[in-house]
Amino acid sequence: MSIFDEYRNTLTRRHFCQQGTHLLGGAALASLMASGKPLTAATVGDAAKEHPAHIASRAKHVIYLHMVGGPSQMDLYDYKPVMQEWFDKDLPESIRMGQRLTTMTSGQKRFPIAPSKYKFAQHGECGMWMSEMLPYTAKMADDMVFIRSMNTEAINHEPAISYMQTGNQNTGRPCLGSWTSYGLGSLNEDLPTFVVLVAKPSNQEQVQAISARLWGSGYLPGEHAGVSFRSGPDPILYINNPPGVPKDIRRKTLDGLKALNELTYQQLGDPETNTRIQQYELAYRMQASVPDLVDLKDETENTEKLYGPDIHKPGSFAHTVLLARRMVERGVRFVQIYHNNWDHHGNLVGRMKDQTRDVDQPCYGLVQDLKARGLLDDTLVIWGGEFGRTIYSQGGVSKENYGRDHHPRCFTMWMAGGGSKGGTIYGETDDFSYNIVKDPVHIRDFHATVLHLLGFDPEAFTYKFQGLDQRLIGVEAAHVIPALIA
Amino acid sequence: MKWLAFTVAMVMGTSVIAEEPLQYNRDIRPILADMCFACHGPDSAARKADLRLDKRDMAMSSKAILPGDPAQSEVIRRILSNDADEMMPPPSTRKVLSAQQKATLQRWVKEGAEYQAHWSFIAPTRGELPVAKNAAWVRNPIDRFTLARMEAEGLAPAPEADKRTLARRLSLDLTGLPPSPELVENFVNDASPDAYEKLVDTFMKSPQWGEHRGRYWLDAARYADTHGIHFDNFREVWAYREWVINAYNRNLPFDQFTIEQLAGDLLPEATLDQKIASGFNRCNITTSEGGTIPEEYYVLYTRDRTETASLVWMGLTTGCAVCHDHKFDPVSQKEFYELAAFFNNTTQNAMDGNVKDTPPILTVPAVADRVRFGQMDGLIVAAKQAVEQRKQTGRSEFDRWLAEVKPETATVSLPESGLQFRLPLDEGQGDALKYFVPGETRETKLTKPVEWKPGQTGAKAINLNQGGPAEFATVGDFDKDQPFSCGAWVQLPANDGAGAIVARMDDGNDYRGWDLWVEGRRVGTHIIHKWQDDALKVVSKNQVKANEWAHVLVTYDGSMKAAGAKVYINGELQQTNVQADGLKNTTKTEVPFKLGQRHNTSPLPGVTINDVRVYDRALTDAEVAALAKTSRFAALLAKAAAERTPAENDELYQWWLTAKDQPYQTAVVDVQKLERELADIKARGTIAHIMNEKPEPAMAFVLFRGEYDKRRDQVAPATPAALPPFPAEIPKSRLGLAKWLLSPEHPLTARVTVNRSWQELFGQGLVRTAGDFGVAGELPSHPELLDWLAIDFREHQWDVKRFYKQLVMSATYRQSAVTTKDKLEKDPSNRLLSRGPRFRMDAEMVRDYALAASGLLVTKIGGPSVKPYQPDGVWEAVAMIGSNTRDYRADKGENLYRRSMYTFWKRSAPPASMDIFNAPAREVCTVRRERTNTPLQALVTLNDPQMVEAAKALAQKTIKDAKPTQAERIDFLARQLIARPLRAEEQVIVQQSLAELAAYYIAHPEDAKALLGVGEMAIDASMNPHELAAWTMLTNELMNLDEVLNK
Repeated sequence: MSIFDEYRNTLTRRHFCQQGTHLLGGAALASLMASGKPLTAATVGDAAKEHPAHIASRAKHVIYLHMVGGPSQMDLYDYKPVMQEWFDKDLPESIRMGQRLTTMTSGQKRFPIAPSKYKFAQHGECGMWMSEMLPYTAKMADDMVFIRSMNTEAINHEPAISYMQTGNQNTGRPCLGSWTSYGLGSLNEDLPTFVVLVAKPSNQEQVQAISARLWGSGYLPGEHAGVSFRSGPDPILYINNPPGVPKDIRRKTLDGLKALNELTYQQLGDPETNTRIQQYELAYRMQASVPDLVDLKDETENTEKLYGPDIHKPGSFAHTVLLARRMVERGVRFVQIYHNNWDHHGNLVGRMKDQTRDVDQPCYGLVQDLKARGLLDDTLVIWGGEFGRTIYSQGGVSKENYGRDHHPRCFTMWMAGGGSKGGTIYGETDDFSYNIVKDPVHIRDFHATVLHLLGFDPEAFTYKFQGLDQRLIGVEAAHVIPALIA
Repeated sequence: MKWLAFTVAMVMGTSVIAEEPLQYNRDIRPILADMCFACHGPDSAARKADLRLDKRDMAMSSKAILPGDPAQSEVIRRILSNDADEMMPPPSTRKVLSAQQKATLQRWVKEGAEYQAHWSFIAPTRGELPVAKNAAWVRNPIDRFTLARMEAEGLAPAPEADKRTLARRLSLDLTGLPPSPELVENFVNDASPDAYEKLVDTFMKSPQWGEHRGRYWLDAARYADTHGIHFDNFREVWAYREWVINAYNRNLPFDQFTIEQLAGDLLPEATLDQKIASGFNRCNITTSEGGTIPEEYYVLYTRDRTETASLVWMGLTTGCAVCHDHKFDPVSQKEFYELAAFFNNTTQNAMDGNVKDTPPILTVPAVADRVRFGQMDGLIVAAKQAVEQRKQTGRSEFDRWLAEVKPETATVSLPESGLQFRLPLDEGQGDALKYFVPGETRETKLTKPVEWKPGQTGAKAINLNQGGPAEFATVGDFDKDQPFSCGAWVQLPANDGAGAIVARMDDGNDYRGWDLWVEGRRVGTHIIHKWQDDALKVVSKNQVKANEWAHVLVTYDGSMKAAGAKVYINGELQQTNVQADGLKNTTKTEVPFKLGQRHNTSPLPGVTINDVRVYDRALTDAEVAALAKTSRFAALLAKAAAERTPAENDELYQWWLTAKDQPYQTAVVDVQKLERELADIKARGTIAHIMNEKPEPAMAFVLFRGEYDKRRDQVAPATPAALPPFPAEIPKSRLGLAKWLLSPEHPLTARVTVNRSWQELFGQGLVRTAGDFGVAGELPSHPELLDWLAIDFREHQWDVKRFYKQLVMSATYRQSAVTTKDKLEKDPSNRLLSRGPRFRMDAEMVRDYALAASGLLVTKIGGPSVKPYQPDGVWEAVAMIGSNTRDYRADKGENLYRRSMYTFWKRSAPPASMDIFNAPAREVCTVRRERTNTPLQALVTLNDPQMVEAAKALAQKTIKDAKPTQAERIDFLARQLIARPLRAEEQVIVQQSLAELAAYYIAHPEDAKALLGVGEMAIDASMNPHELAAWTMLTNELMNLDEVLNK
């Protein structure tokens, strides 16, 4: 560690100062520090603009809606009309091409094709085909960028989610949210920079595991870990004073504590004592900010019209995306939302209606609300799962119902806002929604594109760990996809 | 090597000292490593232009470097070039050499381009002890190194800390707990010259020593109580944790400590303890996710074990060589897999089975059971022999029976007695289901769409995909003490689904009722008054095969014990996991009996069902077998004798024995009794996860880019060439590997180990990158001291207590932590050790400190993990339905107050309050924790009920035990918390806080009451609530002092 790092660690407030040097040139930071001005988000932002590695960018915030389990692309976004003629016929070997299968279906004797039972129609100027299950989302087709050619190598949930979130199938790397926190820092000291919310699906037939490791900071400094936000009385762990301790009593104890800690600092001269004094003040301000953030009483009737009635159900997807909008308004950088139960091995038709009812209107409400408030330009909304699903049915097949196994070779994601190019339909798959025939977008390409939208050169956005310049996009070639960018 | 100047340069950030010749390790390698080695280093796959700059001969032979002649050296020409096609590093790498770096490289070539081996790969040597001027300050050799260095830097040591500070520091470092005020006073008043040493010995003798040292080790061992991936279910592995604590407490030498953990199972005549120790290599994360390809995870487990052993014993990041040759260190990809081969020969399955006892395991009986446990195997073998014997002797009787039996009268009788309900589910069409209740056939309408598939007991069977399609109001209305049986034929899909085949259960009312349950294709039952405090749950250990017909059945004997619930698959009694065992109250519910789900939730998607039966009694083993095998036996008996094959006759004979033969049944019961006794012994003890080697020789494959399915050359176990040779006389096994690590020639093991110990006490290692002693790691601040400590440790037989004692006896350790402006500038992070260690305590210590100071701490050593307070929903937010670590239920009583190292560690959601204080998730080996300072930490120590309750307890103790004046009480409190009385200026602040708090709680008795309700601990009847509330908040204030949170 250089002398420069020593100073950062000991003399300054860590919360803001462990910004990556890709943004803050050493010289820029040194001059800031020499100026004796306190580092604020604004000064960090200014410094960032000066640095050649920071490209002019639109996205200052991200709301990432991860659909845990892997939504079925051909029942929602990847229209495959030819499949109607293939009902219960076997998937041709020429299409499957030795694709490795999960051991859940690798023993299956047949791979009978299950055409989607849903009606599709074209929407918007862009003419995107969308399933009847998404009537609200369909209304904003021209705000959205559809990527129908996402692909991954992982075939099981744990490695696949990890890949999607951290760029690596093995656990322990920092996720996109941590990278964003590390790179862009905070806009509001009184709230966490990177927040995670786990929405409760209304149907829980086959909920998949997620893990707090997904929002760990990996090898990045610990303050870039996601802070879990919960529905219920304590949105952040331990945010509430104990019962019988009103705010002003807490203030009095903090005043006493501060005075005593200042004496300790005078006595011992440890800079960490000073940092601690500041962290307690920050905690106190956070206690004031969070109740205001989660109290929806200043929302109008229009909010309910936009997002739907579920905003009144704490923990529902609608409620969490509304909170996400409120967070972004207050300067939270990155909001990660998980919505579960998309792992439709069986009873896809029975469960899809619950899944789409949970997310369709709230997604629409979120994007439209951000737009109306002038926040959409700054805010990148991402929707998608960790892989797609197979055209063939797992278990039996009927025209009315079927199940689908995991499928890594293609799946659909969408983005809106944040400098992405609305009304774009990118990538194509074959008639079976099995292989990509045009414009593949690997996870690392997707990550590169998101980083680009956030203003980073994905190649240069690195963090030194074990002697190597570690990157979200990993070591293989990753490409920013210009067609997705406005 | 001129260590001193070189590390001065490192620490002080200046680079090259002009008048002195350049040194490769100090001046050059850092530049080359950062700028060049990625393409021109050890990694052969990434190497460009076939040029290697990390080896002098290769750099010279390719004319890249001509010693003494920078102008003719291609390297220098390229780094000075401005031509984008020529310049190095190329613009695409975005690496830029500074002008100073370029000048340094030029000068180095000019001076002859001498290379040096990396310091940590050269075995430590013991040099002369440095001579320091201020000899009076020196207490032991450690101080000569640190003082000489300080003097060279123009720094003087800080004065010795006062005795109270020392007592507190020692107590925290040697036991992890604050000292009792009495002990502090005794020490302060003990004027004898060896008072300090006596205190050290006292702490080292306490059993808390082993807990505290073990706690650090558990990070390295990645110890946790769950498997880590997907279901993240419970893993019963705490016997290993106990072994670690005991090992430190009996001062097991570090060499033995190493051997037993890496290879305890391979030792001749290995003891129970030594096998438990081998659990070190069973602490890695594992999966049982449906769909997993086993080989992928075999590879990951081996990789984790290899990386862990490399990191813990050698401080090497060998994981970097999984996909390619190491970019910096001399570990090629092939060498990684050779090292991995040592760990690649275990009998463990890739899938952990989501059970707590994934083999290979070992029973660890309670001490009182150990003798009887030793006899059980023999007794069971004998009893089984009796069964086998009857199999021999009964055959002639059977033959006579078979000869006489007439096919038309020989229909196998299905149990009819007590049959309360039968639902064939074989209609194959229509919108109604027929069913039988005693004396009647009835019909009910389907309420949801179903499908029909080929059946087992009829031509068709119902297939459910959209929830339960039928209900039956009067069926299965059993109370807690009512025996019953329930079974069906089922075909389960190949997924991890969980749900009910049938149930009479009110899931909206704490799940009252019962069900026939499936989770991850394991079968079981819940019998519930109130989940999960007043409930039974058992689930089979074995899975039903996917997509095949299986007969599943549970019986319950009304005993209100989990042991009274049995599970059968295909007529075979199953071993079960008990997940709840405490039924007390009624299980009757008004909701109807439902097919395919509980009342509102838990459908079992994709299940196909035939022939559901409910009996109002517990069927016998034979009856269940009859049910499961009926159609088969009926068909066999119906055949003419001549048409039956010998195998079919054998099958019939087996059935006859179970169903008709009294002597056989008696013998079987004897076996069952013994097996039950054994099960009881096992239930009273615990198990250990151990290593077990396959018989064939160990090997591994080099994997292209680390991918499990891209096998290249097969390799045998071997150690990297850059390290000492592996002696021919020791075996190429984990045991041999352990011995190799401990050999005197090994340059890393001792250094890495003493460095970690140093880090525990001083907050940072002499090598700050405790997990990276390679080229990319930091250089040691005091290289000669590190070497001296390493050799000293090894030459004193790896005596752990002696080693730590030496550290804390030093004057270096005893310095005051007071920092001056001068020192902060010259030595901002105390790398020169010019003051005593002071840093925020680890997560466990923060909580344990509060518990100990308040008197709540329960000091019991060892045992299973416990669940103290934790906010609701932390587990639930991430866990799968069906995971047995989804519902966090805090314990009661003493388990709330155990040391934090016993807190149940769920890997996908680590203990919430500790996670905030940088406790690792324990998914991978951690040898150095982060230490952040965040507002979320403040919220924990201010508001966590555990902390508030501790404040309440300490406040009550203060009021009860201190003399009843305000000043005395404040003094008492301070001594409990910071081991010293308050200074006058502090007293003023504390008194003011107290006055404000007292005034508030007098005026707001309801708030006082609310505050005092936090935590399970009841307050003393003698307490005045408003007074206790005010003191509680004052204590809460003081428990958050920087001085309390810091060591």
